[in-house]
Amino acid sequence: MIVIETKRLTKVYTHDFIDVEHGRLRFNFMRKTVALDSLDLEVREGEIFGLLGPNGAGKSTTIKILMGILFPSSGSASIMGKPLGDKSVKASIGFLPENANFYDYLKGEEFLDYYGTLYGLGKAARRKRIDELFELVSLPPHAPNLPLKGYSKGMLQRIGVAQALLNDPQVVVLDEPQSGLDPLGRKEIRDIILKLKENGKTVFFSSHILSDAELICDRVAILNRGKLSTMGDLDTLLSSTIKDWEVIVSGMSAESVAELRPHAIKFLERERDVLFVFDKEEPVRDTLRRVVEQNATLVSLSPRRETLEEYFIREVSKKPAQEAKTDSKSRSAANV
Amino acid sequence: MFKVLAISLNTFKEAVRNKVLYFLLIFAILIIVFSSFISDLSIAAPDRLIKDLGLASIDFFGFLIAVFVGVYLVYNELDKKTIYTIVSKPIDRYQFILGKYFGLLITILVNMVIMSIFLFAVLYWRETFASDKLSNLLYPEVSSGKREAIANLQLHYYWFHVQTFFIAIGKAVATLFGYSEAVTAGLLRVIAFSALGLSIITAFAIFYSTFSTPTLSAVFTSLTFVIGSLSEDIVRYAEKLAEKAGGLAALAGADVLKYNFATWAVQIVPNLAYFDKRAEAIHGPAAMEVPAILGPTLSDPWAVAYGLLYTAGILCLASLIFNRRNFK
Repeated sequence: MIVIETKRLTKVYTHDFIDVEHGRLRFNFMRKTVALDSLDLEVREGEIFGLLGPNGAGKSTTIKILMGILFPSSGSASIMGKPLGDKSVKASIGFLPENANFYDYLKGEEFLDYYGTLYGLGKAARRKRIDELFELVSLPPHAPNLPLKGYSKGMLQRIGVAQALLNDPQVVVLDEPQSGLDPLGRKEIRDIILKLKENGKTVFFSSHILSDAELICDRVAILNRGKLSTMGDLDTLLSSTIKDWEVIVSGMSAESVAELRPHAIKFLERERDVLFVFDKEEPVRDTLRRVVEQNATLVSLSPRRETLEEYFIREVSKKPAQEAKTDSKSRSAANV
Repeated sequence: MFKVLAISLNTFKEAVRNKVLYFLLIFAILIIVFSSFISDLSIAAPDRLIKDLGLASIDFFGFLIAVFVGVYLVYNELDKKTIYTIVSKPIDRYQFILGKYFGLLITILVNMVIMSIFLFAVLYWRETFASDKLSNLLYPEVSSGKREAIANLQLHYYWFHVQTFFIAIGKAVATLFGYSEAVTAGLLRVIAFSALGLSIITAFAIFYSTFSTPTLSAVFTSLTFVIGSLSEDIVRYAEKLAEKAGGLAALAGADVLKYNFATWAVQIVPNLAYFDKRAEAIHGPAAMEVPAILGPTLSDPWAVAYGLLYTAGILCLASLIFNRRNFK
């Protein structure tokens, strides 16, 4: 079942007519910026979906439209089969905005209680849920009675996650949940996301910390300059692009090594052990054949997949070259 | 309903942390208390001066709170982006506007109550000292026409002051619940109407802040208050203009603009004179001349209806605008 779906979702910002830029007045006659361009997304039930992209790619814009903070310029979106803004849908969604800011004069417990009321939870239900959440996001024991202005960045992010889970949501939307956290904090957020998936929830989150996304995502979409660059299963996206093969053999004849060496992109020899890195399959087969013939030892053979980060950089950097022409045209047209 | 209440309470919690609020409150109380000293300069009716100044302060400082605290309430939520998590919750945006409005209104009412207690207390205090209670206590009549000082005179003198202070405060609080003496008769009604007028101004403060910056909202709200309070004078001014020129048709040049602006402004802005019952309470129900264009003064129930309808209308407009807003 498709939980979140967007169809040709587009957001165009019209600049303020008069703007002060670098201390100078700037007149923006009909100046527009396309933040999101015909985005089609599908998030399925029970999966962890990562929305990835460089800064300014439109990740936050997408999430804000889905959460009813912005209205789309055109296109449509639905959550759990219902149009955006439906209150029954909102009741089963949890949301954590990017760099979330909360009421710093409220104590941790007061804050969650306030938001619990907005979800329409009864007093007893709120109390029970708040206790559970303080434990789930592992906030220190003094946190409930500490005003939020005394919270550290990591604690704020955790109570932000807690407020997103108050209503035990079916769909959890997190905008850059790991930004500004130390490695330990990032791991804790990762664990919470995985736990949510275990409990059958759908998690939709945006991130630019790709190593973290790679560890937990089932599927990802990569956005670039407001457009969808790729969407798919993380496994298929990455396995379809085996980058190279690393072969370590032991006891191979010096002759064979010399013959294979020109094919390798990386080569290392230490005593009897030899390491080759090939970027083609043919020399790999050749090496294996020689190992069998010479009765040498195959220490290891590992096809190395591209990491998400490498894939991402390739995807993101190849697009602008193709689109540069059309893009600058549309921009100058908008500037007139 | 609970959601609106929760937002109101949170707004109230936010507002009471605003230092401007305390500055305004202390200033208002100082004026009320010092009016008691200034009033001694008045030969004819010192109490009238205290009431006049006190009631005007309550109204004016209520207005200042609406402006200086009110215009930031919606803006802060947008600026700190707390609105993101609010609109993603299962509430309607109009509930948010209502919550903000009632939160601000509660803040203003609480402050008006505190100011009123001080005003009433000052009046009761003066009332006690204006009578000969103290001299009777200190110099009791021993035989007819003969008075002697009481033993421990100084002690009794101070004790009387302490007693009077607490009695005055006690009576002042009781006055809020309907108790009244000659000196405070009718004042609660004046303050209640003042609050009703301010509820309209509060709605305007929220309304303006749904689409403009705090500074602009403050300017707009102040203009609304000033024009609204002076609407009768503005109409008189317009009529004078026409009279001077010798009839409406004879108006020419800039005077036409002035006349039109005056008559239009009065139509759009609420007529706060309906809620100004000060003169009536202090000086008695003198027959005030009311400009024909505004119609007759409203009776109390009609004034209440007018205030509530106006407030509801402005809040509807605010919700309509807020409903369509993108929060960048």
